[in-house]
Amino acid sequence: MELIPILNAVINGTVLGTLLSLPILAITMVFGISRFPNAATGDYMTLGAYTAVATQAWIGSSLVLAVVSASVVTALIAVFFYLWVFRALAKRSNVARLIASLGVAFVVRTTITFFAGQDQYNLEMGRIMRAWNWHGIRILPMDVYILLTAIGALGIAFVILHATPLGRRMRAVADNPDLAAASGIRSRRVMLYLWLLSGFFCGLGGVLLAIKAVVVPELGFELLMPMFAAVILGGIGNPIGAVVGSLIFGISQEIATLYVGPSYKIVIAFLVLLVLLLFRPQGLFGRPIMAR
Amino acid sequence: MESYLIAISIGILIYMLMALGLSLHYGFTGLVNFGHVGFFAIGSYTSALLALQGVPIPLAMVGATLLTALAAWPLGIVALRLGSDYLAIVTLGFSESVRMMLQSEEWLTRGMHGLPGIPRMYEGWIPAAQIDLAIMLTLLAVNGAVFWLVTRVVKSPFGRVIEAVRDNEVAVRALGKDPARFKTRSLMLGAGLAGLAGAFQAHYLTFLSPEQFVPLITFYIWIAIFVGGANRLLGVALGTVIMVGFLEGSRFVRDFVGGISEVQMASVRIWVIGMALILIVLYRPQGILGTKAGKST
Repeated sequence: MELIPILNAVINGTVLGTLLSLPILAITMVFGISRFPNAATGDYMTLGAYTAVATQAWIGSSLVLAVVSASVVTALIAVFFYLWVFRALAKRSNVARLIASLGVAFVVRTTITFFAGQDQYNLEMGRIMRAWNWHGIRILPMDVYILLTAIGALGIAFVILHATPLGRRMRAVADNPDLAAASGIRSRRVMLYLWLLSGFFCGLGGVLLAIKAVVVPELGFELLMPMFAAVILGGIGNPIGAVVGSLIFGISQEIATLYVGPSYKIVIAFLVLLVLLLFRPQGLFGRPIMAR
Repeated sequence: MESYLIAISIGILIYMLMALGLSLHYGFTGLVNFGHVGFFAIGSYTSALLALQGVPIPLAMVGATLLTALAAWPLGIVALRLGSDYLAIVTLGFSESVRMMLQSEEWLTRGMHGLPGIPRMYEGWIPAAQIDLAIMLTLLAVNGAVFWLVTRVVKSPFGRVIEAVRDNEVAVRALGKDPARFKTRSLMLGAGLAGLAGAFQAHYLTFLSPEQFVPLITFYIWIAIFVGGANRLLGVALGTVIMVGFLEGSRFVRDFVGGISEVQMASVRIWVIGMALILIVLYRPQGILGTKAGKST
């Protein structure tokens, strides 16, 4: 195959991987700190996408406004479900939280479909901008905006995690919750911020994805498997790993689609996951984890 | 009316076979299987395809059951190395992968067009009008047999070990037993039951399509075993009746409450399922009839 389509696939994959690294970061943080794979992540993304559509329909067609409201609303909903469900399950097994998160996923998605139905929606982009074309290598201006927004959000996340007292507390709870509690860290407050951030990133990831694709009720849930695979690829609880895992996943998926067709996405993600879990469960550059 | 009741009973009994399998997985062994519908799908399609090739139906169904159990074996290899939440992800991915394969391997399954004209059970043996009744009675007998079998399994030394695996894996290992082998066997046995349920589905409906095997079915079964208590077989049976009763009953709600479309009703139905998952885990983790099940939830 020629080089040009592959280069275009790499560009597309980079954009996709960067924007998906937001929800993937949310999964890995929740996995690391609250210790369960949050199955509602995909549907939080869907919520973000639909909030953006609703904002444009009722308030105004500004894309920026839609992006902001999607992130904020999703963050608030994520906090709501923490306060109601996951806070009460803090001392229970991770399986209990996992099953509850599936319940949350169903509740969120069906609340959306009750009002919006199964129809497809599109976000209004305003003026359609043509792709820059350089010897067949195409770059969409909108993709550049998406990329910059996602990188900006990731930057903020890393500043919060590594340069603020809140981030230090988060990492402390992730490392050893008992020791953190003994050092006077109030884990509930840390959890509250964790869910706020996680919801914000899911909503933002969802709306950015909605700019690139059509908005359907399964938008997020279908990505759950690949996102889990990326989390484990990068090592659970490892934020940089999450971004790298997401990029690897995004780029390899776009390139693979050139050869085998898009319907095998989930199957490929599943096989990668299996191989990883069997041979390198700590991820590409994680240290071995004790409790699997 | 009579034929409607028979149809509902068949639905309940097919789900009950699956629920007994999942109860073995989760209730007794503590395996968090989020991909039960994948086994159901493998059983359905295997039996259907075999029968379409001219294999007698009983033989096709036995073949489907065995093949489904075998399909669970590689998952068992993974399961024995992983904690419960990883197993949940892997099994969910497994069932979705199965569904995607059914969708895209058109040479075998006709993909989204579905598989029509599957031979019906008892076709040509007894009058057409009585086939449904005969299927229901067969299912009843099979469920009875499975009930007896699972009870025996659970009460056997094997059953005591799997319950110990669920409650304290380290202790099992300390006693010189290999938890992995017991997990794998439990996984295969329960998967076989789901495969058998699938075979019945295939030869009852005579039409299969990948949309019948969405993850939602798995969570219907989870609700069924949750409602009754995951490690109480009678509770599982009762939970299945309640769950199917709710799914069927909700169809009539629309006749009383105006202004709700079919799509909205489907949303409401799944919303209730999601809400039930949350509420049961929050307030009644042992199930409505169940006894406290160690560390399981």
